Amino acid sequence: MNSTIATDRVPASRSVEERGRIGFGDFCIAAAQLVVVLLLLRQFEIESKVFVQLAGVAFAGFAIHSFLPLRWRLPFFAALSLASLPLVLGLLNGIWLIAIGFVLIGICHLPLAAYLRVLLLVGAGALLASQRAGLLPAPWPEAIWPILGSMFMFRLIVYFYDLGHDTAPVSRAQSVGYFFMLPNACFPLFPVVDFKTWRRSHYSEDAYVTYQKGIDWIVRGVIHLILYRYIYYHVALPPSEVTGPAELSQYLVSNFLLYLRVSGLFHLIVGLLHLYGFNLPETHNRYLLASSFTDFWRRINIYWKDFMQKVFYFPAVFALKRFGTTRAVIGATMFVFVLTWFLHSYQWFWLRGRWLFVPQDILFWSVLGVLVVLNSLYEIKHGRKRRLGKPTWSWRGFCLLVAKTYATFLFMCVLWSFWTAESVHDWLGLWSALRGRYSIDALLYPALALAVIALGSLPQTARPADAARARARERAVTIASMVALVVVSIEAVHTRLGPDVATLAHSLRSAHLSRLDNAKLERGYYEGLLSVDRFNSQLWEVYAKQPANWMKIESAGLKRFVSGFEQVELIPSVALSTPHGTVSINRWGMRDQDYAPTRPPKTLRAAVLGPSSVMGWGVGDGATFEALLEERLNKEPVTQAVERVELLNFGIPGYQPPQQLAAFDRALRLEANSVIYVATGRELTRSAAYLAEALHKRLPIPLRLQSIAERAGARPGADEAALAKLLQPHSGAILAAVYAEIGGRAKAHGMSALWVFLPQVRAGSWQEETQQSVTLAAAAGFAVLDLSDVYAGHDPASVRLAEWDDHPNANGHRLVADRLYKEFAAQPDKLLPPTPIR
Amino acid sequence: MTQDVKQQIKDYIMAEFLPGESPDELTDTTPLISGGILDSIATLKLVMFIEETWSVAFAPHEVDKENLDTLESIMRLLGRKKPELTR
Repeated sequence: MNSTIATDRVPASRSVEERGRIGFGDFCIAAAQLVVVLLLLRQFEIESKVFVQLAGVAFAGFAIHSFLPLRWRLPFFAALSLASLPLVLGLLNGIWLIAIGFVLIGICHLPLAAYLRVLLLVGAGALLASQRAGLLPAPWPEAIWPILGSMFMFRLIVYFYDLGHDTAPVSRAQSVGYFFMLPNACFPLFPVVDFKTWRRSHYSEDAYVTYQKGIDWIVRGVIHLILYRYIYYHVALPPSEVTGPAELSQYLVSNFLLYLRVSGLFHLIVGLLHLYGFNLPETHNRYLLASSFTDFWRRINIYWKDFMQKVFYFPAVFALKRFGTTRAVIGATMFVFVLTWFLHSYQWFWLRGRWLFVPQDILFWSVLGVLVVLNSLYEIKHGRKRRLGKPTWSWRGFCLLVAKTYATFLFMCVLWSFWTAESVHDWLGLWSALRGRYSIDALLYPALALAVIALGSLPQTARPADAARARARERAVTIASMVALVVVSIEAVHTRLGPDVATLAHSLRSAHLSRLDNAKLERGYYEGLLSVDRFNSQLWEVYAKQPANWMKIESAGLKRFVSGFEQVELIPSVALSTPHGTVSINRWGMRDQDYAPTRPPKTLRAAVLGPSSVMGWGVGDGATFEALLEERLNKEPVTQAVERVELLNFGIPGYQPPQQLAAFDRALRLEANSVIYVATGRELTRSAAYLAEALHKRLPIPLRLQSIAERAGARPGADEAALAKLLQPHSGAILAAVYAEIGGRAKAHGMSALWVFLPQVRAGSWQEETQQSVTLAAAAGFAVLDLSDVYAGHDPASVRLAEWDDHPNANGHRLVADRLYKEFAAQPDKLLPPTPIR
Repeated sequence: MTQDVKQQIKDYIMAEFLPGESPDELTDTTPLISGGILDSIATLKLVMFIEETWSVAFAPHEVDKENLDTLESIMRLLGRKKPELTR
């Protein structure tokens, strides 16, 4: 890498008072830009509605702050930071957070020896950690943990370190402002701002220059976030869709580029701090253009690197330097990478409430550590090229730089894919895609990356010698970018640019979980979701709000393993007390009241098949839609053809469509004369995935499915990921076979067969296969009832259990029961078998 | 004395980290750390050079931008550690 130096430095002779002043004209220019920034944040719904509100408060605060006497500005910033907490988190949460924070800061300043204060801090940390883990009760709400963690988990270390080494006295406003830093209330993921740098940077540059830099960085951050959204919504792929070299290259590149969210957020955060006079350094420096591993480490998340360097690396080198410089550097670098891995896990503990110890995390940091050590050794021996003036340009130098940068980028893409994989096994499974069909498409993403790197490596146009002109040019770029983005975001504009552009612009304007993360959220009910513990998924932010002791359906102890194709069933005659009410399983293994083994005369006995939303996870006995509907159908009959209606709840958490074959067998044993199959979305994908799992585990496969597996070349015992890729193209046939089996046997037994589509509480990938599922169900002889709009007009929060758990709550079940009753009242034939019930 | 010490440090930086560059471009206020000339390894090499040449001891917390970002700040730090070097 070539380094050239910046020369635009503020004259040291100017006093802080002078630097803090801003002319009215400059203020108006900054304020006008902030109005556009606010519009930009609102138009693109940047991060959250709460953040847009907080940004409004911060910009209004900026207007007051700019004209306050300098000595009042830091106290004003501290007060505004404190006020932002109740504003964002609610009054009670805000007060608790401030109180806990004050205790921790107070410990740092107790008139005791340093080691005693450290002991007290460790003790307080251990107490809080026990509460975070749910081992001890905490009197404050769960919602404050991620923000409390992000404010104190690293800053306390830096703060205490600087208290011990920096001789400059620390004011109360500095302490409060540093820990409760204004935008932090909205961002659990926050850069590790160095305390010494933070306070030294306060008006270390002219006010207007600092403010303008802040606005530039905020806009840059928004651009990163919009690019991130494009990749997150439209380019990123799940590993299961990586079937050939083209998808593999798309997966590798897009997966790494998801990091744009972190760099975008950090630009936004640090840019906002500039508005209060903190002339902080960059958090990221064109990290996609790193030309070596040490260069990558220096450019990406610079604040983290500086934190590790200051608190751990230099002390370690000094402790080891008696062994020689080279050995000291090797030892200290490895120490830093081991600690980075550990602190990453520590960070997730405070954000999520549990530690993260997975092999790919350990291996990722080990590999990166070794590479940085090797690179450092090379640099110790050979040095690296640095420049004082303008670098001389040559084709050879340019090509060499591009080649090195491209190689580093590609290697980081591969390493990143390993880090973010759900398991080492899954990551190894990705590479089977290299055996797929090669086409020109495989070169698309590598070629795009090469083009971006080549363009980025071109010498930058000379900065005007006059600093004011240079700044004016940068400001013009910022304003032009902002205005262009705002204009494109206006519906009346982007709808005129054609349907493709309009759809794209519309998708980029809203913050939501991607198809990939939505699918993970759905799977989250059933699986461990390791990949949520990574920056690459936005899901971790949703799960960060989940209380540590939140009862999960999979660990509730309601199911047991069986040896058949279905693998699991509910444990008969069990009652479980949950925070949502009692869950009772009857002697037949149904979440329902008891029923006689034989159907009573003149009774419609309908078996309701489905997953956890049918079983009714999240509501107490009697509050499931099945129970409510049964009660109403008996109180307010919709037909005279039967004297009584029995709805048998065969819903089992985690059941996939093929497993319903086993549930249907059980229904037949209980003489059901009607079957209601409840589909909840992604029926095709889930069917293929389950068959892959069953084949991988060598489970006994139903005959119809066996023949499809043979056609697909899916052999029992093979790797599950490979089986899934083989079976996915046959997903329609698999689901058709399942429906045909249930529909055909129902007909043979003289039963009615109804297929009900029950949506999830919010839009997501589950919708993608609905139409195909409806068609297949109708073809298999089911009467079809589509409840897609059952939650329409209701705020998802009012019908689901929690943000991290989309199971319908009691209100949701009531809506479903009411709707089904209305449908049956209008068309009772849908429930009744073709022949009269005796 | 001050000029000698500063010149020796400048010579070291030029020879070790900026071979082939013009010494005139390295002024007392040229940013060394924030300008990308001194990374962590280069900073350590410079610290060890100063420690060995003038028998001064650095503490880990002194190895930062505030003390080592310019020739000027390096001389200020040296002046605090060993006043006779900057007289």
